[in-house]
Amino acid sequence: MTVTLGLPGRTATPYGRGVRSASTPEESLEPDDDAVGRRFRAGDERALAEAYDRWAGIVHGMAVRAFGAGPDAEDVTQQTFISAWTGRTGYRPDEGPLAAWLVGVCRHKIADVWARRERQRRVAEAAVVDARSRPEGGRDDGLDALVADRVLLLRELDRLGQPQRGIIELAFFADLTHSQIAERTGLPLGTVKSHIRRTLERLRTRLEVDGAALQS
Amino acid sequence: MQHCSPEQLALAALREPLPAEDAEHLAGCEECRRQVASLRRSVDVLAVPELAAPGAPVPPPPHLWAGIAAATGVSAAPPSEPPLAPVVPLRRPARRWLALAAAVVAGIAVGAGAVAVTRDDGPSGTVIATAGLDALAGEDASGRAEVREEDGHRLLEVDLSAPSLDDGYYEVWLLQPDAQRMVQVGAVTAGDTVLPLPPGVDLAAYPVVDVSVEPLDGDPTHSGVSVARGSLTR
Repeated sequence: MTVTLGLPGRTATPYGRGVRSASTPEESLEPDDDAVGRRFRAGDERALAEAYDRWAGIVHGMAVRAFGAGPDAEDVTQQTFISAWTGRTGYRPDEGPLAAWLVGVCRHKIADVWARRERQRRVAEAAVVDARSRPEGGRDDGLDALVADRVLLLRELDRLGQPQRGIIELAFFADLTHSQIAERTGLPLGTVKSHIRRTLERLRTRLEVDGAALQS
Repeated sequence: MQHCSPEQLALAALREPLPAEDAEHLAGCEECRRQVASLRRSVDVLAVPELAAPGAPVPPPPHLWAGIAAATGVSAAPPSEPPLAPVVPLRRPARRWLALAAAVVAGIAVGAGAVAVTRDDGPSGTVIATAGLDALAGEDASGRAEVREEDGHRLLEVDLSAPSLDDGYYEVWLLQPDAQRMVQVGAVTAGDTVLPLPPGVDLAAYPVVDVSVEPLDGDPTHSGVSVARGSLTR
């Protein structure tokens, strides 16, 4: 079963340029999103260019929302497509559209930038602390741990199969209630509830075993 | 009453309202509240606005694709990008070259760029970097570039093999790897040309030698039409 995340489709989002109305004759000549996804997975270089054409806008939109327009957001967008391309065999067309997968990759890249900033901050702070002969270190360890846990849990989400992953993403990232998720996915209410429970328990275990927050 | 079901606890962790009876129990039950708190940790870690589902798309700046193409080695271009975007920034809209009489404006064009220093006494100074210039897709130009240092000055020698132009000239640039920032070095012709490098240019920051075709239109910016390119190595 395929769970789609309700991402805006082609006509709603190709990033500002090249918007084609559905009624134009050339529309039928264009590959549909699924075809682009399959060719992307198969390593067709044109599919990378087409995927960029269609979804760079939504990816960059997320990056800009996280960091504001500028170098960090641009880096996230570039890294998302570079890493999606080099890791394309990790994409499973039968588990969802390429756009949703790209959004997932983008979340990792956003978390990576947080982690990088956090490391830089720690290094800078360590220098200051050393200079002041270590008064009280670790004031911001909480933030540090949060950033590490985000990377950890995003990775755990990657390991979920469908429909579990789609369900929890709708709960976390689209802020839908379990009944809205059931409606959106067509899954029975009870199924949605039990997937949510199992996934939250799984993430809890992950945090308890490997989480930074609970170990510091 | 008995404890909340694990499903209800999970929904509570997501901050969904529970049925009145469950909500009431939860409010007074230490054990259930502890469960909710432990399940909620992952919600608080991940359900943040920065990671939320995509909202309004934001068009990425045009140069981003070039970086992706360079890193992946993919030469295809997105359909709505200008065809040369992967390798060259278009600083101005592509347009037809003005059909001007080259003889009249050639002097102006050279005056606008750097003045070529042609040396009769052959190569001199110490070679500090070289680059092979490879033709870009569909172009018929190639050659070699060499940076030499002599008496504290740096010279760029370009040996270019390219067809002669009727209505434009070749210009050499040093680009940053993303092809967004560049330093103009000067006009070159097919064959050997030696140009002084602008003092202070950091070759590590501008390592790419780029040869463009410039129309005789009085616009000093890069035309966006590159014909050959190569990276300097020491």
